[in-house]
Amino acid sequence: MSRRSFPCRATGGELRDLEQPGYYPGYSTLAQKKSWEEATRKTVTERVEKTAPIRFFSQEEAALLGAVVDRVMPQDDRAEDRTIPVLSVIDERLYKNSLNGFRYEDMPPDQEAYRLAIRAIDEMAQSRFKESFTDLTVHRQELILKSLHDGKPEPDNAVWHRMPLHRFWALLMEDCATAYYSHPWAWDEIGFGGPAYPRGYMRLENGLPEPWEKDEQRYEWNEPIDSLSQLEDSH
Amino acid sequence: MTFTLTTALERSADRNLPAPLSSAVVTALEHLREGCFQRSLCLIVAATSIASGLEVGYEHYKGSYSNPVMYTPVVLSGALAAAGLSGMLSRLAARTLLRWVSVITLVDGVIGFFFHVRGIARKPGGWGLPVTNIVMGPPIFAPLLFGTSAYLGLMASYLRREEDLDRPAQHLTEWFEPQSSDWRMNLRHGRFQKHLSAVTVLWAFFSGVEALYSHYKTNFRYKAQWTPVLLTPLLMAAGVGAMKSRRIANTALPAVAALALADGAAGFCYHARGIVRRPGGIKKPLYNILYGPPVFAPLLFAACGFLGLVASLLRREKK
Amino acid sequence: MPHRLGPMQVLPSPVRRFADHETVDYCVVGVGSAGGVLVQRLARAGFRVVGLEAGPFWDTEKDWVSDEKGSHELYWNDLRITGGTHPLALGANNSGKGVGGGSVHWAAFAPRFHPSDFRIYSEDGVGADWPMSYWDLKPYYELLEREIPVAGPVWFPWGDPHGHPYGPHPLGGVGDVLVRGCTKLGLRSVAGGPVAILSASHGDRPHCIYRGFCLQGCKVGAKASTLITHVPDAITHGADIRAHSMAARISLRGDGRVDGVIYIDREGKEHFQRARAVIVSGYAIETPRLLLNSACPGHRHGLANSSGTLGKYLMAQAGNVVAGRFDELIRLYKAPPAHALTEEFYETDPRRGFARGFAVQTVGPLPVAFAKQMAVAMGAWGWGMRRVMMDYNHWATLGVLGEILPWEDNRVELAEEKDQHGLPVAKVTFNLHDNDKKLIEFGRNKVMEIMWAAGAKQVVQESRYAHLVGAARMGSDPSTSVVDKFGRTHDVPNLFICDGSILPTQGSANPGLTIQALAARTADYLIRQGDTIFYSSRRDQEEPGIRYDLSPPYTHFKGNPRIA
Repeated sequence: MSRRSFPCRATGGELRDLEQPGYYPGYSTLAQKKSWEEATRKTVTERVEKTAPIRFFSQEEAALLGAVVDRVMPQDDRAEDRTIPVLSVIDERLYKNSLNGFRYEDMPPDQEAYRLAIRAIDEMAQSRFKESFTDLTVHRQELILKSLHDGKPEPDNAVWHRMPLHRFWALLMEDCATAYYSHPWAWDEIGFGGPAYPRGYMRLENGLPEPWEKDEQRYEWNEPIDSLSQLEDSH
Repeated sequence: MTFTLTTALERSADRNLPAPLSSAVVTALEHLREGCFQRSLCLIVAATSIASGLEVGYEHYKGSYSNPVMYTPVVLSGALAAAGLSGMLSRLAARTLLRWVSVITLVDGVIGFFFHVRGIARKPGGWGLPVTNIVMGPPIFAPLLFGTSAYLGLMASYLRREEDLDRPAQHLTEWFEPQSSDWRMNLRHGRFQKHLSAVTVLWAFFSGVEALYSHYKTNFRYKAQWTPVLLTPLLMAAGVGAMKSRRIANTALPAVAALALADGAAGFCYHARGIVRRPGGIKKPLYNILYGPPVFAPLLFAACGFLGLVASLLRREKK
Repeated sequence: MPHRLGPMQVLPSPVRRFADHETVDYCVVGVGSAGGVLVQRLARAGFRVVGLEAGPFWDTEKDWVSDEKGSHELYWNDLRITGGTHPLALGANNSGKGVGGGSVHWAAFAPRFHPSDFRIYSEDGVGADWPMSYWDLKPYYELLEREIPVAGPVWFPWGDPHGHPYGPHPLGGVGDVLVRGCTKLGLRSVAGGPVAILSASHGDRPHCIYRGFCLQGCKVGAKASTLITHVPDAITHGADIRAHSMAARISLRGDGRVDGVIYIDREGKEHFQRARAVIVSGYAIETPRLLLNSACPGHRHGLANSSGTLGKYLMAQAGNVVAGRFDELIRLYKAPPAHALTEEFYETDPRRGFARGFAVQTVGPLPVAFAKQMAVAMGAWGWGMRRVMMDYNHWATLGVLGEILPWEDNRVELAEEKDQHGLPVAKVTFNLHDNDKKLIEFGRNKVMEIMWAAGAKQVVQESRYAHLVGAARMGSDPSTSVVDKFGRTHDVPNLFICDGSILPTQGSANPGLTIQALAARTADYLIRQGDTIFYSSRRDQEEPGIRYDLSPPYTHFKGNPRIA
C-alpha cells in the first residue's frame, strides 16, 4: 500500500517521518510494561508484535479499503516501521465475526456493509475520475471521502440508497479509531497513561504527570495544509 | 564558659524589654531550665491532641472507618485532651491519669503504625510498588506522629509544676514514686536536653518523610514545597549534633528549629490558601478540607521545630 | 491455580453442583446485578438455588485486562437488531455477559431514586406510578449501600437527603471541572460519589487505585460488582452458579405453573433444570426475549404476557456527552469516570416546559471511546481526528443523565434472525417523544453552560443513551403490567421477574443500586413466603419486612456512622 503520497507540507516545515508524533516526546507506555500485570501485558504486546494476515477481504478489496483507511486515519507523518496497523484489525474482526452486540435494522451485517461500501467507493472513483480509487491522487481520494463524510456522495451511488451512508461512515470511523487508538504508539502520541494495574495513579488533579509520564511540550502541529480532512475550525 | 542560649536570652531580655515583660521572659526560661513547666505543657498537650484528634478524625473518615480499630485514635485524642486539661488543674491527675492515657495513646500509635504498614502491603502490588503505595496508601508515619502529643503528655507527667520552682524538693508529694531513678530525676529538673534532641531527630524524620512523599504526590508544583524536605536533614543534623555537643544545642539547634517552626507556620497558611483555591473553594468546605492540602500537616512539622526549640532551652542530663 | 476475584479475594470452593435430575427450589436466570443478590439471599436462607448465566464465570486476574479493546468480551456481543427513530446502541453501551452481568463494567454511580420518581403520574401526569413508594425501598437502599458499599458525601442534598457509609473519593480533573462550573453558576454539586467504589479497604477488597478503567472491569476489586460482593457468599452457602448456560425457554406445566428452564450449555447441548419456581433476571432485553421465546399454548404471545405489555415501555436514559477543551491539562483518564454529579435539575420545573429532569455527571472516556465520540461530536476524521486526539489530555467530559418517559412504542420484540443457538434474537425499537426531546435539548444546553462556566475554550456534544430499563413493568393492574410489586408475574404464580426490566419509570438516577435494592426486597418476600410460593397461588401483598441477617460478610460494623 502506498502511503507517502502527500506533498507533505505542514506548518513549521515538512511532515516528517516521526518515531513519535504528538506533544510528549520520549514518552513510552510500552516502556512501563513491567508494571502491568500478566494478562494485560500479553494482550498489549501481542497487539504490537503480531499483525494478523488479511483473511476476510480479497486482495483487491484490501487494497482499496487500505487506501481508504490511509486517508481516514492518515499516518504519513509516522515512520514506516512505526505505522499502526488498521486494515488488518478491521479484517480480523470481520473474519472472526466479532460483533459489537447489535446491528441497525436498516443496515446489512458488517461484512456485507464493508463489501458494499468498497464497491461503491470504487465505482464512484471510476465514474468521477475514470480511475480506480487506489490510483487516484490523495486529493482526489479525499474529495470522494469528504463527500461521504458530509453525507452527500459525489457522485451518487446506488449502494447508498440501500445502506444509510451515515451509518456506514460511523462504522468505518469506529473501526479505524478502535484500531489506531488501542495501539500503545497512539497512546504515546496523545499522552494517555496506558494500562494501570497493579500500579494506579497518584496525581489525579491539575493534569500533573505521574513520575513515568511526560509533561506536555506543545509546538505548532498542523495537518497538511491542503488536506480536506482537517477540522473546520482548526485554522 | 561556653555560650548558652538561655543565659543569652535572659541577658537580652533584661536589656531590651520593659520591666514586667523581661521578668516574665526570665521566669519562663527559668521554669523551662528547671523542669517546672508541667501546667503549661499539659495545656499544650490538650491543645495538640485536639488538633491531632480532628486530623485523625477526618483522615479516618476518608478511610471510612472500615476497621473499627480506626476509632481508637479519635477516642484517645479526646481522652488525652481531657487528661491534659485535668493535669493542668491537678498535680495528681498529671502524674497518674495523664501518664497512663499518654502511654496508651503511644501504644495505640505503634499499633496504628503496624496497621498502616499492613495497609500498604495489602494494596495492589503491595511493597512491590513501594513508591505508589506509600504515596497512595495509609500515611505510613502518621500514627507515630500522632504519638507526639502523647509523648509530650508523658514528659509532662514527670515534670515539676510551675509553683514548685521556688520551693525546696517536695519529698512529701512524691510518695507514689519512692525510688526516683536517674532519668526521672533528670526530667524533673529539666535536665533532658539530649533526650529531647533525640526525640526531635526522630520526629523530624517522620514528618519530613510525610512532607516528602505528599509533596512528591503533587509533583512539587510550588517551590515552597521543597522547604520542609530540605529543612528536615538540617534539623536532624542539628539534633544529632545537639546530642553530642552543648554548643550545637545552644546555637545551631535553636536556629534550625526556629526556621522549621516558621516554615510550618508558613506551610499552614499555604495549605489553607490551597483549600480556598480548590474547585468549589469555601463553598465546599468539608470536601475541600478533606481532599485539599492537609491543613494540620505543616503544624506537625512546626511541632518538630517547637520540640527542638524547647530542647535548646533545657539543661543537659546529669551524668 | 485458585479462581481469583481481585488481588486478594478467592472464589470459595468447592462450588456445589446439583445433578441433572434434581429439582431445585429456585432457578435464577441471569446472575447479574439483581440475580447475584437474589442467589446470595436465597442460598443464605437455605433454599436450593441454581443460577444460570449465559456468559463466563470471570477470573478477574486471568480474564480481565487493563485495556479498552481487550475488554470486548465483557459485553453482550451476540446479535440484536436495533431500530426506531432514535435507535439505541447496544452491546458495550448497556449490557453485560458473564457472572456479575453489567455490574462488572458499570461506572458504579450509585444514587438513589427520588421519592417523586415513584409517583410521576400522580405528580406530573406522565408515565406511570410505581405500585410501591420510595419509603418501602428506603431500608433496602440503606442496607445495600452498606453491603456494596457506596462511597459518597456525608450529606447528599437531593431527593430524600442522606449520607453514605464510605467516605468520598478524591476528585480527578473532570470532577474539578464539574465542581468549578457548578459553583460558578451557583449550583450545588457533590464530589467523590456516590459511587459503589471503595474509598477504603473492605474485607478482602482493596481501596481504589484511581486507574480509570472502571468500564473495563475492575481488576482491583474496588468497584462493586455482584461477582465480588454477593456471588462468593452465595457459593459459600451452597448456591450452584452455572456459567455458559444460555436459557432457551421456560417450561410451563399443564396446571399453569412453571417447572423449570431449558438451557443450552457451552457445547450446544440442551439441558432441563427442574425448579419449583423460576426467577428471570436477564435485564431489559434478554428478559422479555426469553419470555417471548417461551410462548406456548395458553401463552401464545409470550409467557406471562396476557396484558400485552411484555417487551413494551422500554426505557433508556438520555446520556448526551458534552466535551470541553481547556487550555490547561486535564488528563481525564485518571480517577474513576464516575466521581462527581449534580441533581439540581432532577425534579419537574414547570417553567422549563417539560416534565421530569436530569442529572449531570462526570464521565471519563478512554482514548478509543473518546475518539469515537469526537467522530460524532465534531465530525472528526483523517487529519482532523489525529489533531483533536493529540489534545486528548486537554478535554473534560460531562454527561447528561436525563429521564426519558416510558412509551408503549419503545419495545423489545423477536426478530426474524436467529442467534448461534437457533433462538430468535431481540429487536429493539426506540423513539423519542416530544417531552424527551425538550428535556434533552434543555439538559444538553445546561451542561454546555456548566462547561463554559468552568473555563472551557471549546464545547461540543454527542447524543447518546445510557442504561436500559422497563419492558416487563410492575404494577398493581394485571391488564397494564407484567409483574406485581414483588416481581411475581400476574399470570404465573411461581414465575418471577427481578431486574431492571420491572421498573415502571426510571428517574434520572443510574439504575444499578435500585435494581439491587429491589432484588434484596424480592428475596426477603420470597423467604418470608417460604414454601407457599411453590404450591399456592395466593398473593400476599404485604411488605415482607427487611432482614438484616442475610447480608454478605463485612456488612456490619463497617463504614462511617450515618448522620442521615
